[in-house]
Amino acid sequence: MARWELLATVVEHRRRAPEQYELILHAPPIAEAAQPGQFVMVRPLETHAPLLRRPYSILRANPDKGIISLFYAVHGAFTELLSLKQVGSSIRLLGPLGNWFQPVRGVQRHILVAGGFGAPPLCFFASRLAYSLKAEERIIILAGARRRDLLVGLDEFRALGAEVHVSTEDGSHGYTGRVTDLLVHQLENPEPAAVYACGPNAMLKIVAKICTQHAVPCFVSVETPMPCGVGACLGCAVRVALPGGSQWFRRACMEGPIFRAEEVIWE
Amino acid sequence: MNAYPNLQVQLGPLRLPNPVLAASGTFGYGLEYADLVNLSLMGGIVVKSLTLAPRAGNPPPRVTETPAGMLNSIGLQNEGVETFLLEILPRLREYGVPIIVSVAGETVEEFCAVAEKLTRAQGIVALELNLSCPNQMRGGMEFGIDAKLTATVVRAVRSRCELPLIAKLSPNVTDIVPIAQAARDAGADILSLINSVLGLAVDAQTRRFKLATRTGGLTGAAIKPIALYHVWRVHQALPDVPLIGIGGIMSWEDAVEFLLVGASAVQIGTANFVEPTTCIDVLQGLERYLVTQEIPSVQSLIGTVQDIA
Ligand SMILES: Cc1cc2nc3c(=O)[nH]c(=O)nc-3n(C[C@H](O)[C@H](O)[C@H](O)COP(=O)(O)O)c2cc1C
Ligand code: FES
Repeated sequence: MARWELLATVVEHRRRAPEQYELILHAPPIAEAAQPGQFVMVRPLETHAPLLRRPYSILRANPDKGIISLFYAVHGAFTELLSLKQVGSSIRLLGPLGNWFQPVRGVQRHILVAGGFGAPPLCFFASRLAYSLKAEERIIILAGARRRDLLVGLDEFRALGAEVHVSTEDGSHGYTGRVTDLLVHQLENPEPAAVYACGPNAMLKIVAKICTQHAVPCFVSVETPMPCGVGACLGCAVRVALPGGSQWFRRACMEGPIFRAEEVIWE
Repeated sequence: MNAYPNLQVQLGPLRLPNPVLAASGTFGYGLEYADLVNLSLMGGIVVKSLTLAPRAGNPPPRVTETPAGMLNSIGLQNEGVETFLLEILPRLREYGVPIIVSVAGETVEEFCAVAEKLTRAQGIVALELNLSCPNQMRGGMEFGIDAKLTATVVRAVRSRCELPLIAKLSPNVTDIVPIAQAARDAGADILSLINSVLGLAVDAQTRRFKLATRTGGLTGAAIKPIALYHVWRVHQALPDVPLIGIGGIMSWEDAVEFLLVGASAVQIGTANFVEPTTCIDVLQGLERYLVTQEIPSVQSLIGTVQDIA
């Protein structure tokens, strides 16, 4: 598993929506190695406050151009620093890190459940999946958020030709309600499916439960704080069930961030 | 004058190639960083504290960032001493970096049992006793906040272990000097200080604690003045005891400050998360500093801080 600590150059800084940005970074070895669902540890400036790097999922990677994209929403001191980054400036990156989404074989439907700002790794996954899709397979996107302006990646998903279903809690776009309602509806159809989800842990917990009830394989990308990103600090612990009934903690940065839904014990 | 400053340091019975080490719990078992950092250049690695049996640790969330620092409550999650000896130590030995093993326990007996298993192993240069462990007999109070308990642990381990012994002190005390004295008198060859500073964080929006355990240990740049203070006080009181300074070291300047107030070596913790190569960067900065200041050796810098003119 190759990974690099390097100084990446900002190639483009694109505003996607109010307070939502995409950072396009020149980082050839990372772009080459990155797999969908992996993340990078980002250090915008050599400051003591904020002190730690933050993990960001890779939104897309283009090995030919040597670039990767990161999505972020401005919220707090760290992302404000990020938002000040000019084209041509540099950012320290460590990555690509963690495991990645792998398509389940022998199913007709790949259902990607994206909760709000959890969409970026699923955008990357959907784009790679679209390339390797077999004739009998299709991609279904279930994207949900509290409000319309918090939905991420709809254009990208649609551009891939995926079937996209949208929900908002306030009814400002698509179905009024939760994205997990859309999932229940999808799984009423017995056609074999696999589910891949990223979003708030509260959503993942419900997704996991629904999938267990329907006996559908499910992979979740969990969100935890990550001080080191490389397995050294044990700060990113996720409680898992071990065979035999005991429990242990796994590192979201190493054994994750993607876990089989049935092994996670939700706090 | 020799153009190449002497970076070697002698801490009682322990000689290290240079004074920059990675602190326990912040560098895993070293292997986690082996592809990112040239381990063989480091002065040493203090591995994650080991207990007798594997420990699952505390529930998440275990960490949260604070101004210029972070709080953690990992809860001593580790693989246990047996797994370390069988699966980890043989691989870490390959890198040729001095290996110091941090020993933890909930009881004096556990400290001894872990130390006994390690003392026979090949390739360990010293043991460091993590005295910030919660003491089972005293409702989870840290061993290291009580001079008698500190002495009991150190003496018990000393009698069962031939390796150089480092006692790692907690800053969460009114006066660190009597505890340092107790550890030294009980047989510690070296003292390392400080471990993390007790603290807590609250989220005003959700009105909840930010850590599952409510309280945690503060580390990082924010604690450097506290750490410098404790090192300086212990060096004043016990000038003959070799000290390892720990707490908030982010740069080579920080490391020099610790040497000046009396540390013979330093350990770097949280900064490894920020920049995996911090230990090497600090070492190279220190070397340049010695050259430009025409100081022949690290050893000649120790404890030479002066009053303002
Ligand atoms: C995530 C984390 C885990 C730690 N685990 C241990 C440990 O297992 N044993 C120990 O003696 N100290 C442990 N420490 C304390 C460090 O070794 C060090 O004393 C402390 O972090 C202060 O140094 P720093 O400010 O450079 O981080 C830990 C610190 C952190 C941040
Ligand atoms: S973030 Fe440090 S172990 Fe996962």
